Amino acid sequence: MRIGDVMDRDLTAIAPDSPVSEAIEVLSRHRLTGVPVVDEEGHVLGFISEKDIIKAALPGYFEYLQDSSFIPDFDQFQARLRRISREPVQRFMVKKVATFKEEDSDFSVAMTLIQQNIKRAPVLREGILVGVANRADLLERLMADGDGK
Amino acid sequence: MIVTVTLNPAVDEEYLLPEFRPGGWSRATHVDRSPGGKGINVSMILSQLGCESAAMGFLAGFTGEYVRDVLRRHRITTNFVHVPGETRTNVYIVDEIGHIETGIAELGPYIPEDALGRLVTNFDRMLHRAHLVSIGGSLPPGVPQDFYRELVRNAKAKGIPTFIDAAGAPLMAALEAGPTVAKIDHRFMARVAGIPLTSIDNLIEIVSKVHDQGVEYAVTSYRSYGDVFFTPGGIYLAALDRRDFVSMFGAGDALMAGLVVAYDERMSAEECVRFSMACAYEDSLHVEKGVRSREAVEALMDKIEVEKLS
Repeated sequence: MRIGDVMDRDLTAIAPDSPVSEAIEVLSRHRLTGVPVVDEEGHVLGFISEKDIIKAALPGYFEYLQDSSFIPDFDQFQARLRRISREPVQRFMVKKVATFKEEDSDFSVAMTLIQQNIKRAPVLREGILVGVANRADLLERLMADGDGK
Repeated sequence: MIVTVTLNPAVDEEYLLPEFRPGGWSRATHVDRSPGGKGINVSMILSQLGCESAAMGFLAGFTGEYVRDVLRRHRITTNFVHVPGETRTNVYIVDEIGHIETGIAELGPYIPEDALGRLVTNFDRMLHRAHLVSIGGSLPPGVPQDFYRELVRNAKAKGIPTFIDAAGAPLMAALEAGPTVAKIDHRFMARVAGIPLTSIDNLIEIVSKVHDQGVEYAVTSYRSYGDVFFTPGGIYLAALDRRDFVSMFGAGDALMAGLVVAYDERMSAEECVRFSMACAYEDSLHVEKGVRSREAVEALMDKIEVEKLS
C-alpha cells in the first residue's frame, strides 16, 4: 500500500525562525515527539524533535560523553533550556531529514524508520509537506497484515 | 485543495427523544456524537461527497483530540493550532413528537494572542496550495470580532475564492473584504440595513447591498418559503417538502458544502441551487449530520422546487 494512503495527514509544522519555546509548546500541546520545520510555502527545511532540544540544552562537555545520565545538576540544564528558548529552531533542527513520497510503499517506509530509529518522518509532494509517516501506526499496520495471512 | 476554517470547533451531541420536557430526566432513543463547527462540518460533508479538504482552526484538550481523531479517521487533512482548555461541546435535542429542536452551545476556550498569530501563519502557508477557502462559525473568546476580514483579505490577495458562513459582527467584517460567496442571516442584515423584512422585494434590496461589496453569490432563508440564492445568473427561490424531515441539525452546513462543490465544479447557477439544496435536504432526512453519499444527494435534485425570480 502507498504511504500516502495510510499516513497521518496532519500538517502541524513550525517556521525556521520560530523560537525554541514555541517548538516546545507545539510538541507538548499536540503530544508529538517531533515536528517538521517548513518555509512559508510548506517546503520541508528540517525537523526538530524533543531530543534535538534536549541535546541543545545540555552543557557543551556532555557532547563528548553522549550520555545525559551524567548530568549532575538539573538546574544547569533548566538554565540552559531557558537561555536557548528564544533562539530560532533552525539553529538546532536536523537538516538532513528522512522524507518520503506518497507513492513509497508503507513497508519500505516502515523499514527505513525502524532502521534509522526515527519515530516520525515527513511525507512530501513536490517537496511540500502533505503528511507524516508514524512508526507506531506502521507497526500496527504490519501486525494487522500479519493477522490477515 | 479546499481549505476550511473553524475557529470555534465543537463536539456535537445530538439526542433524539420521543418527548422533551424540561425539569426532569429524559432517556434518549438515539444519540449521535460527531465533530462540529461550520468549517469542520463542511469538511466532513465534502469527504462524504468524495472531495478532499484540509481543516484548520483551534483545538483544545480531550474534546479537541476527539475532533482531530475523527477527522484523521476520515482522511481529512488537518492543521490546527492547539490551545489550553477544552474544545466546546454543543448539545442538540430533537423532540420527535413535537418536532421541536433545541440547541445549547458553549462559548469555547480562550484563544491567546500568540495562538492567533500562529493560525494566521499557518493559514497564509496553506493559501499556497489552496484553490478555495470556506470560513464559518462563531468566534471563541479572545479572537477579535473583525478577524475574518484578515483571512478573507489574505485569500483574496492570492485570487482564491472565499466562502463565508457567519453571523453578526464577524460576518460584517468578512463582507467588508468581499468574499466570493456569503451565507447570511437575513434578520441581522435587515437590522443593519434598516429595511423591514416584510416582503421578498425588501430581502432582495438588503442582499443587493451585499452584492455591491463584491459578493458573487449570497444565500439566505426567506421565512418558511425556502432559501433565496443571489447568483451571477439571476435570483432564485428554492423550496423543498419538509414533511420528510427528521432533523435539521447541520442542514445549513450541508447546503454550504454543496455550494462549495457546485462552485468548484463550475455548475450552472440553477444546478448550483439544486445541488446545494439537495445536500441540505439529504442531511435533514436522518438524525446523523451529513449526507449518505453523492448519489443520495443527486437523487434528490429533481425534488427541489426552483423559481427564478429575476
